[in-house]
Amino acid sequence: MTDIQWHNDIIDAFKANNIRMVAHVADTVLAPIISAMEDDPFFRVVTLSREEEGIGLLTGAYLGGIRGALLLQASGLGNTINGFGSLALPYQIPFVVLLSQRGSYFEHNIVQIPGGKVTDGILHALDIQTFDLVRPDEVAFVAERGMRHAFVSRKPVALTITTQLSGGKSGSRTA
Amino acid sequence: MAAAQPDRRRLDRLALTRRVVDAADDALIVAGIGNAGFDLATAGDRPENFYMLGSMGLGVPIGHGLALAQPERPVIVLEGEGSVLMNLGALATVGREATENLTIVIWDNEQWQLTGGQRLATATSCDLATVARGCGISSVTTPNDESTFEADFRRALDSPGPHILVVKIDATPGVGRPHSDPIWHKYRFMQAVGVVPD
Repeated sequence: MTDIQWHNDIIDAFKANNIRMVAHVADTVLAPIISAMEDDPFFRVVTLSREEEGIGLLTGAYLGGIRGALLLQASGLGNTINGFGSLALPYQIPFVVLLSQRGSYFEHNIVQIPGGKVTDGILHALDIQTFDLVRPDEVAFVAERGMRHAFVSRKPVALTITTQLSGGKSGSRTA
Repeated sequence: MAAAQPDRRRLDRLALTRRVVDAADDALIVAGIGNAGFDLATAGDRPENFYMLGSMGLGVPIGHGLALAQPERPVIVLEGEGSVLMNLGALATVGREATENLTIVIWDNEQWQLTGGQRLATATSCDLATVARGCGISSVTTPNDESTFEADFRRALDSPGPHILVVKIDATPGVGRPHSDPIWHKYRFMQAVGVVPD
């Protein structure tokens, strides 16, 4: 649990979908969610060296009967492309990709903007369905139903924590 | 092209893979892209084998995730040195998680064999056994004959790991091929594991 309701709504959505294996390359937006899951015996949290490694780890976990999620900053999405293209998608391995958006509202670092602008394009090109988490009062619904969609569609599904929701790296908006 | 010639001082991957299959019993085997999977398909295709048809570099992470999900079952990864070099960070993750039921065999013929024998860093400057130890993996061996390989491998299956065997092999091409359909592999393997897919 954290003291921010939408964090807990995301964690509850993982639990509702029986998603137990969590692989991550953290950022400051995801950090409190990851920390809460590390403290919760429901989850097995693995810190990765690189985002692409998570595609393999979650594929292996799924083949072994455990559903998983990859948590990453959107700027790390480019590191995953071959893993999606030649493993998760052709083998039809479902898992949740929880992305922390960069390069939009509240961005302070110019180098995050080009990558941030193509995040949706990369996901679209890979034909990965995406659901945006924007309004705090909608997170519970969108997260729970969006995550479920991965296992219905037998494909990875992306959920984007927009900077409108998170307040960006500074975390200025926490309601 | 000296790199493409069989080297008598080195071990034969197919002969060693046959020993892996013979010792594996019902252990789960993940084969990385290329010759590791080609020789596994020849040595002993079985439902407990998962073949990576692409995704170079992800053999170790797939085996790692599988081992975490199936902690009571030995999990074996057969992977080439080129794939391991592509994703060296994955060894650090294995070392930190100290996943006990995971055994990784690295076939090292010091080249990208499938693409024409381009020489890799393991031919000169990079020692993967040292890398593995540096990643916190305490059980690392470098068997240099077939019987030592089999003894090391059987010991790995019977003792807490993670284990890594770094094996210098020759450049004999793998002749077999796994089935070409990833979905077929997925369902056959999950049934062998005893998992009902979504």
